[in-house]
Amino acid sequence: MLGMKKQRVSGEVPVASTADIAFLLLIFFLTSTNFPKDNGLAVVLPESSETVEVSQKNILHLVIQASGIVEVKWGESPQAQRMRADRIEGLWRQEVAANPDLIAAVETHPDAPYRYMIDVLDALHAANAERISLQVLEM
Amino acid sequence: MGTKGGFEKKSKAAADIPGSSLADIAFLLLIFFMVSTAFPRDRDRPITWAEAEAAKKIDEKQKNILNLWMQRDGTIYINDQRYEIDQVSNVVAPLYAQSNQGLVVSIRGDRETPYRLMDQLQTELVSAGVVRVVFATRLEQRMQRERR
Repeated sequence: MLGMKKQRVSGEVPVASTADIAFLLLIFFLTSTNFPKDNGLAVVLPESSETVEVSQKNILHLVIQASGIVEVKWGESPQAQRMRADRIEGLWRQEVAANPDLIAAVETHPDAPYRYMIDVLDALHAANAERISLQVLEM
Repeated sequence: MGTKGGFEKKSKAAADIPGSSLADIAFLLLIFFMVSTAFPRDRDRPITWAEAEAAKKIDEKQKNILNLWMQRDGTIYINDQRYEIDQVSNVVAPLYAQSNQGLVVSIRGDRETPYRLMDQLQTELVSAGVVRVVFATRLEQRMQRERR
């Protein structure tokens, strides 16, 4: 018909920017990918030749029984206070404020499940304890 | 003005480098690296994880971390190989030497393992010279802890 314009739009999808899209995706995934790292409670074990004499008054004994109950003993004192692992964090903060040289001696019963030791270690880490000694309870 | 000979041909080659295949090359590279990349990882063992709230990310390069799995019965797995506890020192010592004393052992123990075995394991690690140890745990949420 007269006066009608002929349409000149191309029928193809433009592909010129595909390379840019591919590179953008590549860079996005390169920068955003992070590999899951393990979580854990770090401990430095004493070297086999390393024995250090420590005064009893600087030791807080945390005896973990097979049932998971923790007995807290101060130095050589025969008195023990029984408590749950989740109360140790508060106790440690209180004790270390009074004696900054305090060492936590975690003594676990040989038959106690490992998780009870982790609970106590967790509480100590939460209280920012740095001087921790891990032992097995001598029967 | 110069005159052109009647038999001289005009060069019709384009001066541009063709860029239309760039996308294909990028995708091919992408697919090649996706398929060929293999991360050296040992297989997970079926353990019940211990949980801790204060657990932190292990601050060490992945290549310096040695995963040591300990099952409830005291069986040890290092790099998918099964060992008994008393073999650990002999297995870990050469790996420790290879890593220039930078090795960190991540102990992935079952939460119900008797502590006696865990203590034996620590003694073995110390005799291999390894002193940096991480007790790997899952993160515990405070809500979970309160419910317990």
